[in-house]
This record gives sequence, C-alpha cells and structure tokens, in this order.
Amino acid sequence: METIIVIFGGRSAEHDVSIVTAISSIIKPLELTKKYRVEAVYVAKSGAWYWDEKLKDINLFSSGNIADFLHKASPASIQFDGGMKLVKASGIAGRKQIRKIDIAFPAMHGTYGEDGSLMGLLDMAGIPYIGCSVSAASIAMDKVICKQLASSNDIPVTPFVHFSKSDIERDPLKVIGKITGALKFPLFVKPAHLGSSIGISKVVNEKELKNALEVATHYDDKVIIEEEVPNLIELTLPIMGNDSPIPALLERPLTSPEDFFDFDTKYLQGGKKGKGSGGKSSSKGAQGYSQIPAELPSELYSRAENLGLKVYKTMGCSGISRVDMLVNQKTGQIYFNEINPLPGGLYAHNWNKSGVSNIELVEKLVLFAKERHSTRQALNTSFSTNYLQQF
Amino acid sequence: MMQSLISLYKLSYPRSLVYMLQSSEYVVKPYLIWVWRTNDFSKVMNRRTLVYTRAARLLLLALRLGILLQILIGVLFIYLGAKNSLAGGVVFGIALIISYPFVWAYLLILPLILGRYFINGPKSLREIEESKQIFANHPGIKIAVAGSYGKTTMKELLTSVLSEKLVVASTPANKNVSLSHAKFATKLKGNEDVLVIEYGEGEPGDVARFASITAPTHGVITGLAPAHLDKYHSMQEAGEDIFSLADYLKNKNVFVNTDSQSVNPFIKEDFELFNHKEALGWKISGIKVDINGTSFEMKKDSQILKLRSAVVGRHQVGYLAFASAFALRLGLSKEQVVAAISKTKPFEHRLQPYKLADAWVIDDTYNGNLEGIRAGTQLLKDLSAKRKIYITPGLVDQGVENENVHIEIGKLIADASPDSVVLMKNSVTKYIREGLKIGKYSGKLSIEADPLTFYTNLNHFVASGDLVVMQNDWPDNYI
Repeated sequence: METIIVIFGGRSAEHDVSIVTAISSIIKPLELTKKYRVEAVYVAKSGAWYWDEKLKDINLFSSGNIADFLHKASPASIQFDGGMKLVKASGIAGRKQIRKIDIAFPAMHGTYGEDGSLMGLLDMAGIPYIGCSVSAASIAMDKVICKQLASSNDIPVTPFVHFSKSDIERDPLKVIGKITGALKFPLFVKPAHLGSSIGISKVVNEKELKNALEVATHYDDKVIIEEEVPNLIELTLPIMGNDSPIPALLERPLTSPEDFFDFDTKYLQGGKKGKGSGGKSSSKGAQGYSQIPAELPSELYSRAENLGLKVYKTMGCSGISRVDMLVNQKTGQIYFNEINPLPGGLYAHNWNKSGVSNIELVEKLVLFAKERHSTRQALNTSFSTNYLQQF
Repeated sequence: MMQSLISLYKLSYPRSLVYMLQSSEYVVKPYLIWVWRTNDFSKVMNRRTLVYTRAARLLLLALRLGILLQILIGVLFIYLGAKNSLAGGVVFGIALIISYPFVWAYLLILPLILGRYFINGPKSLREIEESKQIFANHPGIKIAVAGSYGKTTMKELLTSVLSEKLVVASTPANKNVSLSHAKFATKLKGNEDVLVIEYGEGEPGDVARFASITAPTHGVITGLAPAHLDKYHSMQEAGEDIFSLADYLKNKNVFVNTDSQSVNPFIKEDFELFNHKEALGWKISGIKVDINGTSFEMKKDSQILKLRSAVVGRHQVGYLAFASAFALRLGLSKEQVVAAISKTKPFEHRLQPYKLADAWVIDDTYNGNLEGIRAGTQLLKDLSAKRKIYITPGLVDQGVENENVHIEIGKLIADASPDSVVLMKNSVTKYIREGLKIGKYSGKLSIEADPLTFYTNLNHFVASGDLVVMQNDWPDNYI
C-alpha cells in the first residue's frame, strides 16, 4: 500500500483554512479509498512539523487542544535518501519511527505552501505530489506576475498598478498620487501573494486608499491595486488535470455588486454577506452561498469556461487550480482576476455538482500527480561534460 | 486465536457483553447465540456503541463489581494457598481468575431471567388481558394490518387518509406485538371512529393470538414473502399464520394485496383484492414514478380520481389505491381522498428519498424482505440517473431459504443493472455474488467490511447525478 502524506497548516495567514481543507476534503476521502496509508503532517505556526494520527481529528484543532498537543509532542523531521522519509521519536526508549513516503498531498494555502516553496522541497525529494509545479505555483501566487503573464497572452485583465512595501512606506503620498493618476475609483487593494481574501479592501477615496495600503503591507511586501469592474458578476471555475484539463462548473458567488468576499464573509459568516439567499441552484460550499452552475447565457458561459481553461494552461498549471474571473454584465467583457493553485476544500462542493465525488476527486488528483511525475522522470537530468577534469 | 483470547480479558469486555445484551433487546436466546458465535469480543461494536441507559449502566456496574469480586477472591485463594502450601488453593484461585469472562457472560442474564419470570411476565400478561376488554368494547372499526412486509406503510397510509375526515388511532411506529397492542389500548379515548392495529408476526400462532386480543372487524393482508423463516420454517407455515386473521374474520371484510403472488394459494372467494391495477372495483392507470413521488388515476364507472403522493415506487400504488378506495367506502368525499393522498409522505427509512452531496439517496434500510428488495430494485430501474448505486447487506432470518433468497436478490440487482453495487460483508455475501454472476452483472462490485464507516461517510462516495438505493441494515448481532 502506498503512503501519502498530507501536509497542512503552515506559516501563513491561511493556516486555519488549510487545516479544514486537509482534514475534511483530503485525509478522510483518501482513507476511504482504502488504497493508501494516509499520514497527517501538520506544520505549526512556528514552522515545526508534526506527524501523528491524532492530527487527523478536526476536534483537536477546533477545541484549542492543539497547543497542549504540540507542547507534549516531538516534532518530526524529513530524511532525504533518494526519496523522502518521515522520522520522529516514538517515545518508547527513544526509538525512531520512520515512514517512507510515496506521494505528497500539499494542503497548505498561501505563503510557503501554495507559493511553490513546498513544491520545491518535494521536487528535491523526487516524489510525486498533488497540484501545481514550483513554477506554476509561484506565478499563480503572485497576482502581479500573473496579470502581467495573462496580458502578454491576450487574456483580458482589469487595469492595475503595483508597489512594493518599501515604496509605500517610504512615500505613501507619492504612491497614492501615482495610483489615482493611473486608475479610477472604486479600487481594490490586495496583498500580491495572499489568497482567501485576506488583507483585501475596497476603497472609494484617497483616505480609504491610504488605510487599505497600510493593511495590505501588513500582510505582504508587494501590493496590487486594481480598478473595479462595473456591473460586476464574479465567476470562479475549478479545473483539474495536466495536459488536458477538465473544468468543473462555473460558479457564481452570490454577492451584491457593492460587496466582495473578504475572509469573514468567505469562511466565518458562511458567505451570507451577499443579498442572494441561494435560490434553486445555489449551494453553500466552502465559500458560502453560490450559484452552481452560474446562470448565464450559454455564449457567455462558454466564453468564460474557455478563458478559464486558457488561463490554466498559460500559467502552466497541473493537478488542480481555480480560476477567478470578473464579468461586466452590461458589456459581456470577461476579465481574468486571479488563479488559486490550491482551492479551499479543493472546491469539492463544485466538483460534487459536476458529478465527481470527494473520493473520485482525490483519486484523480493522485493519478494526475503520478502522471506528471512519470513525465518528469522520463526527462534527462544529467549531461556528461569534461568540465571537472579541467581542475 | 491469541487476539480472541486477549479480548476476553480486556477492560472493554464487560462493556461488550452489556452492548450485546442491549443490541439483542435484552432477549436471552439471541444474546447467547451471539456470545457462542463471537471469537473476538473487542470487535462486536461495529454498527453502534452501547447506549448508556439506566438499565445498561446498572448492568455494567454490577458486572464490573462482580468481576472484581471474583478476581479478588481468586487472589485471596492464591495467597492463602501459597501461604499454607496448599496447591489446590492456588489452582482454584487461578481458575477463578481465568474463568471470570466465561462465568459472567452467563451470570449477566440471571437478573433478566428472574425479572422476566417474576416481575415483567405477570405484569405483561395482566396488561394484555385487560386490553382484551378495551378492544372488545371499543365501538370503532378495528382494522388489523398483517403481512410479511408493507404493514407499517399500509397502517400509516390508512391512518393518514382516513384522518382527513374520521378520528383515527393507530399503533405507534413498528410497535406491533401483544404488549404494544395492550399499551396502545390503554391510551384509547373511546371516541375513535377507526383503530388501525399492526400485527408483527414472528412465529406460528402469533396472528391468531393478536386477533383474539384485539378483536378486529376488518383485516388487511399486505403480502407474503420469506421472513422469519427461522421460526416459520416455510412460506406455507408463514402464510397460514398470517391468513389466520381471515379465519378470525370468517373471511368477511378481508382485503388482500395480490401484487404479492405468494398470497394466491390462500385466497378465498369472499376476500376483496387490491393491487396496482385494481382496488375494490376501481381501475388504476397512468402510473408515473419519479424521485419526488408517485401519481396515478383511479376510475370507476364515470368517476375519476387523479392522485399524487410523495411516497415513491410503483409497488406503493396498490397500497395507495386501497387506502383511497377504502376511505371512499367509509364515507370520505373524492376531494377529501385526493387531498389526503397528496399529504402522504415517505416514511422514515422506507424508500425515503433524501439529498446527500447533491446525489439522491433512497433510504430503505428498514426493509427486511425479498418483496421489499424487489420493489427497491424495480425503483432503481424505473428512475433515471447519471450513475446508479445499489447498497445492501442482504436479509436476515431467512432460515432454510437463506441461500435461495440471496441468490434471487443478486439476480434482482443484476436485472436493475446499477453502475455500482456495494455489499456489506457477511455470511450471505457469497450468495448475492452468485446471483449477480447468474444475472451476468457487469458493473463495479465492492465488498465493504466496515459498514459503519461506509454508511457514515457515504457523502464522500457520491456526487450530483447519482441515485443510491440502500436496502436493509444488519444489526451487530448478525454477521
């Protein structure tokens, strides 16, 4: 039986979201397949790694007992030996417990997890892992680079500017002047590398803009400022696969135009900030109430789906991602907004509506991971030279 | 072997014993059969866990104290034997300690036997005797509902429909034996127009005894199928018991569901028959079944009734039609009947549809007979879905017909041709597989060894467009 480690938690503002994604949407379905031995690896906010069966229980986290657990538990370590092994002291006469890892399922959102850092570690270990590669994850997690790449591939994006944290701190008024010179209010101010709507503000004047920049720089060293799309419809499209990606259903979060999904709306209020109450085809998924599939004219639906797939391929995604789009419903113009290499809860609620069960979803993702790994293994990674002989 | 032996001395052993007794509904024989059959006592709580009722807590406390006392006495004997160089004392002490799991597995039932014979037994007999008078003196129509299956459904339908105009009382849930009837009788006010009494037959003579106590004026026989064959030994014997209701009624006011073909040998001229084509002279047509319910038309002379119920399944049409026709006979108007039928809903765990992870699940886990399986697999065939999944552990108490019944179940499943079949691993799985093979089933077959985990995580297995039919559920005391 192959061993899969599910790595979650992490030193990121999305630490808590990651715990729910891992335990509810990944560990349980993987165990139910009965095909894999599933090991839970929790990366604490301190950065220490822990490996224990008890970490599969959401109650350990929701009850707050995790602090006590971490106090008593010994951190695990990773051993690279032409593969990857988990190592920890068993507590019985200091004997070490070692588990060889066959596949990794990164379930860490945001910094160090979703941004390519963890993928780099797994690439070094040479084991298959679920989700995007280092390069795709790094691009996807930088909203600025992402939009620049999209623009250069004829994918429409909303007008935007970006600044570093040091620029903003050095001369905020100059930055605000540049922003108001280039863009029109209302604007969105976002940390460039964070997901789950953390640190995002909508602003309508310079005073709010100044505050929003402060908030965003609190979370990130790069900030992106974008123009709002008028007559807005938000759309999101989960996609999975490698060379031939498969779309799920276009989903429309039920928010009113003056609202947007910040972290509280998404995860703490069950998405109830919007006016919509659900309707016939609405669903309360990982991010609250939404319409699945989005009720759109078929031509618009088809264009949005194709744009999502084009973004997925352009960014070099594999495994799974979610593409967010903005639509001006008066003009029918669709803009690429951002791409999320590890959608919260894998967006299983949307895949369920598409006819893919939770178990099938994780099984497919494991297959995609193996497929990509095999392709990479087939590449030649050595090149003979006489370079060393010159010394 | 070693694992089994260790399980007898685990701290969880007393809890396992009390759980087994509780799951056997504190009936000694099934408990003892379970004890004799069990190898590993640490693995008896698969489907549920011990419910800490007052009785369970008292039994557990008594058991633990008893075991502790026996161990202490054993230790005392060993100590005294060793001190006084008496080998016999030491051996007896060791024997006392080693034997406690065996001793207490049997001593546990002693309070039950004593209580049953000296307290509950006489009290129950007195209550049943008193209920005889209540039923005999009650002025209302008393409808007895008997049969191997469909009794609760028929009782609930009659109650729902007749209540549209009349004052109706019926036995609660599936409380359908003499003591339940007696308790039901004590709650009657005497002003009821109709009493609907369900008869839960379990062994030969039951139905005749129920009839002699409840004094029915009408009888409805819902069908005959292999059930409780461990006690009845044959369908003939089961049929004779069920149709003893007709004997009591002298074959008058007896209504029989002839959708069940097994009733044919017992049909007599005076009986009134109903099925999905005709009920008490009303012709039935235009049956339509979907996940939200069942609709059909009833015609008699120039009268037409268009009926729609939320209960699901073609096999329900006969029951619905009979309840409607009988209600008309008792004076309800056509409008009242149509309205009453439209209010009928699926009953809990009896072909009850619900949504799970955007899939449709039809919960028929209270079904426990071949005819029910026939109805469930037919429903699976009738309804359209992107992917169809069928789940069952099989049936219990099928006696000598066990193998044949389960081969037949396999064939019925194969005929419904679901995309996926999930069988709960137990003693009948091999026969269902045989039936699937005979029926040339070509879909995906999974055998689940851990039903509790499977059922509680069903949401992870299904998705939108799936139709899942779950039939029957085995308690832990069956394997």
